[in-house]
Amino acid sequence: MNGQSQAAENFVKRIFTFLDETDSQQLAPLVQWFQPAGCKIIVNASAFAQAAGFLETWQRCVVQTQHVVTAVDFHVIPGTGSAVCSVNGKVRFDESGRDKAGQDAAVPAAAGTGATPAAPVGKHRPLWGPYFGLSLQLVVDERALGGDFNGVISSFNYTMVYRPEDSLMAV
Amino acid sequence: MNNLFQNSNNVGAAAQQAVLQNRVKVGVKGWQNATKQDLVSFVSRKTRIGIQDSYVEGNLVIGFVNSRNEANSLLNWNGVRFAGNALKFEILGDNAGLGAAPGTNNTIALLKAFLYKRYNPQAKMLDLGNLRNDPDLTANGLFSTTSTQSKMFPAMMKLASKEDQMVVESVNLSNNNLKDLNMISSLAQTYPNLKNLCLANNQISRFRALEVWRNKFKDLRELLMMNNPITTEPLYRSEMMRLFPKLIILDSVLLRDESKLQQIYSMPMKLQQFFFETSELGQSSIDFVSNFLNLWDTNRTQLMALYTPQSQFSVCIDSSVPSSSVPNSDQNPTFSYYLPLSRNLTKISSERTKQQRLALGQEAIDKLFKSLPKTKHSLQEQPLNYSLEAFSYPQVNGFIITLHGFFDESGAPEIDANKSTPNTSGNRNRRFNHGHSNSTNKLTKKSFDRTWVIVPNPGGVVVASDMLTIRPYADGSWLEIQAQPQATTQPPVQAQQQPQQQPQIPGIVQTPVPNMPIQGSAGASLLLPPEVQSKLNPVQLELLNRLHQQTRLNAEYTYMLADQSGWNFDVALKGFQDSVNNIPREAFI
Repeated sequence: MNGQSQAAENFVKRIFTFLDETDSQQLAPLVQWFQPAGCKIIVNASAFAQAAGFLETWQRCVVQTQHVVTAVDFHVIPGTGSAVCSVNGKVRFDESGRDKAGQDAAVPAAAGTGATPAAPVGKHRPLWGPYFGLSLQLVVDERALGGDFNGVISSFNYTMVYRPEDSLMAV
Repeated sequence: MNNLFQNSNNVGAAAQQAVLQNRVKVGVKGWQNATKQDLVSFVSRKTRIGIQDSYVEGNLVIGFVNSRNEANSLLNWNGVRFAGNALKFEILGDNAGLGAAPGTNNTIALLKAFLYKRYNPQAKMLDLGNLRNDPDLTANGLFSTTSTQSKMFPAMMKLASKEDQMVVESVNLSNNNLKDLNMISSLAQTYPNLKNLCLANNQISRFRALEVWRNKFKDLRELLMMNNPITTEPLYRSEMMRLFPKLIILDSVLLRDESKLQQIYSMPMKLQQFFFETSELGQSSIDFVSNFLNLWDTNRTQLMALYTPQSQFSVCIDSSVPSSSVPNSDQNPTFSYYLPLSRNLTKISSERTKQQRLALGQEAIDKLFKSLPKTKHSLQEQPLNYSLEAFSYPQVNGFIITLHGFFDESGAPEIDANKSTPNTSGNRNRRFNHGHSNSTNKLTKKSFDRTWVIVPNPGGVVVASDMLTIRPYADGSWLEIQAQPQATTQPPVQAQQQPQQQPQIPGIVQTPVPNMPIQGSAGASLLLPPEVQSKLNPVQLELLNRLHQQTRLNAEYTYMLADQSGWNFDVALKGFQDSVNNIPREAFI
């Protein structure tokens, strides 16, 4: 049991670490954690048919994030080989105006208009906005509680439950 | 001669007028031990400044001196001893002895009229350009001194923020001789969502002057600063981009790619209030949740029929306080009733505690239910404050329902977990023992997320798993979306309604709980025209059905009643009861 709850907590933290990743190479292994067929992914009440589609959208269209786990609980449903996990957390976004690749929306200034040189090349530092509240429900194979995360996620329901007014992000 | 005489008389009058206009109103404090006349004579002797037309108001002697200079030199005499007390002089205002001084109400009316004169409702634009030369403002002396000038704009902004019918997206402040934003900084409070701003033809020369607007105006799209010294600074463009993160156009030059900017500052998955995998699941999960919470609020023991010896329930406290910028968030939440029950695995390390806090089977679940404070959910009255997702769970051949929302704590729990600990040492060694008082037990509003795993059973459903997370109250993130027209966030809705029965779906047929209020049982549920029904969300449908059963009104009138009362059940029912005698017979079924 202790091992199980440790594994559940560890599992959730690792999912969030993946989501916070800016490098698509590093995010890719998360696809393997989702059940290849019949997996339900719901993010802010929008459904994704496949894990790959969701992760690609996440990678391409969501700025860098930082997740914090604040609460985890789970129930193993006897006789089904599966468990339900309920997670609460906080998430904040990089509000520096750059996407995960470090691209911003600035239009290059015309020559001679007092333009500044382009931003220094290299890894930009994120400018974290305020935290949003987060509620996540997972349905996983019981194997996940033994530390085997391969293809275990059969449902993933990710919902933002509160939002700060001073964030630049529209959700 | 006559003329000359008259002229000189006029000159005298004009001179007297000028003197009167230059007068400054002053007040003197600390003269209690003497008469007013004594005070005025004393001041005149000591300072060689005459206070005229003096009168007593409260503990002040008020009067007038001839000029600003005299008033200022009077201030230098502050603290001079008179009749055993130190005197205190103050300047109360210029010119105030004359009838010309506008009263406060007068000024408000004047500024209001001015605002409407300068407001263009079609363009949603407030033109505050060249205020200095506005005939109305100057005629009323609003630019006569620096002090009135600096007060006028904030006053105008305060008035403008109260004028709800004035929708302002653009503000023009050009030609105002501004050197900094000191006078106009309150613009950011009045119009935080301003889209366009013109500050052209002013004297703004330093970035620091603009710093008060940093992180304000987050929707500012276009800014005009032409003919300000600042525009020649080498860092002008990049500084403006830094100050206004969503600025698209600066001085008519494109600064940012708008679609890229939008992509960066938004989630591709737009928040919605509901998600149902199938439309049937929508109706049935709303039925389940509203029936469940109804009993949860009134008689929890009755819910035991839904649980089996294998069913599990646990409570989890997420005590992390939301950022203070979250609307209506509780910054000082108390969880003392819950903490001894909380199964938040990130917070508990003891193996035994983890086991103990999972309730397995009806008896344990019932006891845990009784250990939680009594509650009142407002699913019917405030449906917009709840968000729900429901989808299938093939492994159990059932489904999952997750509800996010809030409840009010209406009473202390039947069993106080703080007092009934199994610990043999009583309360002596418990950390709650120290400083545990009634004040930490106050009843408040809480937010929650609750997840039920529902398994169909012959004759009804059972709850296999029930997980409740309780957290500090905060307005739901989906709320603002709902305030806008609802067209885009419609969940799928059943095309036709089955009368007499709860909606038929595999699994949830009807809950087997005795006394569980069953929708539609008292008669046919509402038959709405499909085109009306398709515009309603499930919560609204549920409200209509409930209203219909309470009032026995027909579909058309039920809808009218609900619509007129803003989709608030209590308001609707009250309205019905108030006017029941005036409702025509044909309105009822």
